Amino acid sequence: MSNKRSGAWSGGFVLLVALLLAGAFALVYLDSGVAVAAEVSAAADTGVTYAPAPKLTADDYPRVDRFNGRVAVWLAAQMHLWFAAFVLAVPIFVFIIEAIGMRTRDKRYDDMAYEFIKVSITAYSITAIFGGLLVFFLTIFYPHLFQYLTTIFKESMVYYALLFFAESAALYIYYYGWHWLQGGFRKWVHLTVGLLLNAVGTTLMFLANAWATFMMSPAGVDRAGVFSGDTWAAIHNVLWNPLNIHRVLANIAFGGSIVGAYAAFKFLSSTVAKEKAHYDWMGYNANFIAICALLPLPFAGYYLTAEIYAYSQQMGITSMGGIFAWLFIIQAVLIGTLFLSANYYLWCGMGRSDGAERYNKYVKYLAIGIIGAFLVWFTPHTLVLTNEELKALGGPYHKYLGPLGIMPAKNMAVNMMIIFTTISFLIYRRANKIPIVSWVSQGNAVLYALFATGILNILFLGIYHGYFTNTVYKVASSIPQVLTTLTIIVASTVIDASMYKGAKQVAPLHWGRIPDRAQYALFLLAVAFTWLMGLMGYIRSGLRQHWHVKDIFRDASPDAFTPTLGYAANVVSIGTILFLTLLIFIFWLSQLAGQKTSSGDYWKAQEPW
Amino acid sequence: MVNLAKVVAFSLLTIGFFAFFANFGIPEIKPAPPPVDEELDLSSMTMEGFVALGDRIFNGKGTCTLCHNPVGGRAPLLDDAAARIRERLRDPRYGGQAQTLEAYLRESMLEPSVFVVAGFGKAGTSDTESPMPVVSGGGIGMSEADISAVIAYLQDRWGLDITVEIPADVAEAQVAETSMAATPVRPLKSPQAAFTQFACTACHIFEEAGGQVGPNLSRIGAQRDREYLRRAILDPNADISDGFVPNLMPGTYAEQMYASELEMIVDYLAGLE
Amino acid sequence: MKIPRLLQVVLIFVGIYVAFKVVFGFVLGQPIPSSLLTMYMFFVVAGLFMVFTFTDESTRELVAPIKALVEDPARKPVRNVVFIVVPLLAGAYAFNVMLPDFDAPLELRSIHPAPPSTVKIYDQRYDLSTLENPLRKFQKDDPQKFRLLVAEGAEVYIRNCHYCHGDKLDGNGPYAQGLNPIPLNFQDIGTIAQLQESFLFWRIATGGPGLPDEGAPWLSAMPVWENFLSEDEIWKVILFLYDYTGHRPRTWEQE
Repeated sequence: MSNKRSGAWSGGFVLLVALLLAGAFALVYLDSGVAVAAEVSAAADTGVTYAPAPKLTADDYPRVDRFNGRVAVWLAAQMHLWFAAFVLAVPIFVFIIEAIGMRTRDKRYDDMAYEFIKVSITAYSITAIFGGLLVFFLTIFYPHLFQYLTTIFKESMVYYALLFFAESAALYIYYYGWHWLQGGFRKWVHLTVGLLLNAVGTTLMFLANAWATFMMSPAGVDRAGVFSGDTWAAIHNVLWNPLNIHRVLANIAFGGSIVGAYAAFKFLSSTVAKEKAHYDWMGYNANFIAICALLPLPFAGYYLTAEIYAYSQQMGITSMGGIFAWLFIIQAVLIGTLFLSANYYLWCGMGRSDGAERYNKYVKYLAIGIIGAFLVWFTPHTLVLTNEELKALGGPYHKYLGPLGIMPAKNMAVNMMIIFTTISFLIYRRANKIPIVSWVSQGNAVLYALFATGILNILFLGIYHGYFTNTVYKVASSIPQVLTTLTIIVASTVIDASMYKGAKQVAPLHWGRIPDRAQYALFLLAVAFTWLMGLMGYIRSGLRQHWHVKDIFRDASPDAFTPTLGYAANVVSIGTILFLTLLIFIFWLSQLAGQKTSSGDYWKAQEPW
Repeated sequence: MVNLAKVVAFSLLTIGFFAFFANFGIPEIKPAPPPVDEELDLSSMTMEGFVALGDRIFNGKGTCTLCHNPVGGRAPLLDDAAARIRERLRDPRYGGQAQTLEAYLRESMLEPSVFVVAGFGKAGTSDTESPMPVVSGGGIGMSEADISAVIAYLQDRWGLDITVEIPADVAEAQVAETSMAATPVRPLKSPQAAFTQFACTACHIFEEAGGQVGPNLSRIGAQRDREYLRRAILDPNADISDGFVPNLMPGTYAEQMYASELEMIVDYLAGLE
Repeated sequence: MKIPRLLQVVLIFVGIYVAFKVVFGFVLGQPIPSSLLTMYMFFVVAGLFMVFTFTDESTRELVAPIKALVEDPARKPVRNVVFIVVPLLAGAYAFNVMLPDFDAPLELRSIHPAPPSTVKIYDQRYDLSTLENPLRKFQKDDPQKFRLLVAEGAEVYIRNCHYCHGDKLDGNGPYAQGLNPIPLNFQDIGTIAQLQESFLFWRIATGGPGLPDEGAPWLSAMPVWENFLSEDEIWKVILFLYDYTGHRPRTWEQE
């Protein structure tokens, strides 16, 4: 028996080593691929010449009856992105949860991590299906664009395709080997596979991001679109890294929200108290992950927008002040929804223990703070006015609401929302605990002082620099604001954590004792997040306006126009419904394996072997 | 199953709300349609129009000013390049085929690397290769006519005789007529243009030419002050000189003229002494 | 006596609504736009819902009267009245909303329309992203000359602009009330203080007719000043606008 086991073990081990080697090889080779590309570019000046971006006419775009090419590509790309984001994000936090489980030796974490990865494994193949669909649609409807991009990114596309072997192998070993690779050294091997899976997955995303950002901020080509031969220059375009950061964070938040919705659904449908407790706990953790990634996301967004401005003032103004200005009002509603539902879930969660009642009375102040900040954030710069209002105001400009429409006010509002959410977390964490350290009152005083000075600092920076100084400081003041917020988050977490170290519980914590309403908050989070991602996909792509590759490769198709927000919202809504439907299907599949139906007397009785 | 139905209904309601808000909660703004590339109609083109076309191409479609500008220092300035080009044609380093300024310009647009101005070559090529794209290439896509127009524009800008021809046979026949039909850019920039526009010479004599329906204005500046002249244009019947009948001169100039045109004409007339 | 929760919600909602109306309409003298107030109240309701339902106990208290109304046999008469009145109210509301009216449709005017990248003014093409006020340099190099230029700009302003934009640059000139949209108030922190000088140059030189198509309709009565003023005069008047109001033009350079 032990022989047999070790045999299987050594076989598996060889496989693993081979896989690790293959992965490492793929990564190294990719690097050398880049190096090779750089060499090629040096040679390109003398040897290979590339054609400029083609000038197309409407006839160059194949048409398929009853098919709108643009919408087909749009939906395929969006669906691919949603699933890919989910598939990439889940391993990131599964990896973290597994590590936490290994550190705390709490098997519940391991079980939860396994359940997460189970959910993502079916989504993996659907991601691939939509990726294939996207490539088909692109080659069918936009053959010249696709060809142009492939001449520039041919190397990275080859490695991209090949890397999927590594991704698949790592994912399947990680999932199917979960129970096999348990205990001691094996667990470490398993965790390493998880790390490898994330490394490959992230590399894949970064490669694909380069193609998307190349179309927005082309590099490595001249004005006519003639490729210099330097692939690295084309990959490493201005918006590549900002988008990378933004997408990694957004993926984690998105993945967390989807898993949260899964847990919420399981919670609602289970009737056993133990199961309910498990899924409540799972939902809480998923929500926690989503919020952790959500908090820095606005800052990543600012960074991306700042880089867009730096790359092209024109593109920046188009996004913030031109036709897309109203999109950010919709975005404000959605992000507000995210913050509100996340906070509501936390407040509801305080009902898990009787000790939290002490804090219930503070919730209304949190709500006032968050809603207040949100209303400021939501106020558009350009107000929609009836004629009477126009007359009453004396013009389109509102003296008191107008200043709320510009950036300084928005910066203050978003920082306030984040700080109040942090306080929600803080209260949730200490709700059921009584600290036993000696410096409680001093610690609390420091916390009060921290939050008070932080909030005052943000308001001062926002009001003084935002409205009474010149633009340089106006823009620059957002950075100290962000730093203030981050300092508050980190410092308060550290102080609070050490203060409540070994704290005693007021009353037992009952996982599973949470109203169904809170689960709907998790659904709201997931739906809003999905929809928001679709909307932001529209603006990222729409910023190019009538260009395939901004200012280099003109879109001459009849669909070159920039769709209106309403039209885009409808496409996004349809996409969201499709995505969620498929997601339900996936969730259903993931529990199907555990279902058994008695076959009755369907099979003939056989003699035993 | 009930839970599933509830969750689905809840999700659909949420999506519906977002879609509703995006459609009706905010004003619907229709983005401007993509700009249409200008169609060239050379058959009705005057040389002035051709130069103006060159101007548009130089500053627009041709993307020349992206690099040929004083800010970036990425390419030589073209503000006053005529003299330098003549020198260059005699430069032993110049290895191209061009003999004339026109040919040189054409060559530099179509084969930028034939001659690279010192310091403006691609990095690492020691000025043997130009970073300038071939203007007829895909990204810019200038036609033969476009290139000629840009040359005409540059020659006009440098104060040289325009040596290029408008590349269409039909064009020349209609030059005279269309130049009259073309609407001038308002406000007018010269008194002469204003006299043409408002048909002053039909009745008045300036500089020994014109009709005699109205007073001779050749030396009007010596006789009348500006206030009088201004009034005479805006309200012709206010003062009628001896020997002339009222109500002959149109009283509509106040509406037709820009203030700057009026002042320009008054200035000019006041200077006729 | 403790106020029932449902009534609390209703009272708070009404209180906030009235507060918005009163504070903006009467205290500040600038009424809050109804489109904005609708959305504000929507999120106030969301906030109220969150605060009043995050514990089970409070939720029960909140819905108890509604539940009682629907289920309690003793309340049948009230129920019948409510079930008739509420749909009627909803119907009346829908009827009123759908009623055709003679008002002009809602209009949206973007205060900061996106400028084109280049613009043709005085038969010359300007790149708005790099265009700078050629006279701005004198502020440092030759303050005396700068004062002189500002004074000349002031003269241009008084001769041409003050009729609408006001002698205090507050958008309240003698003709301002006759215009819709009314002239911009340059004193306000939300107008020229947010803009680069090149933007002002574009807006002054091409006036109302030069506004981009997006966000139409444009009804601005702003004249096309390139027809009346020289380029120099426009730059001077821009110097004056910033100098008088004490705002600084938006720039992207460190000082």
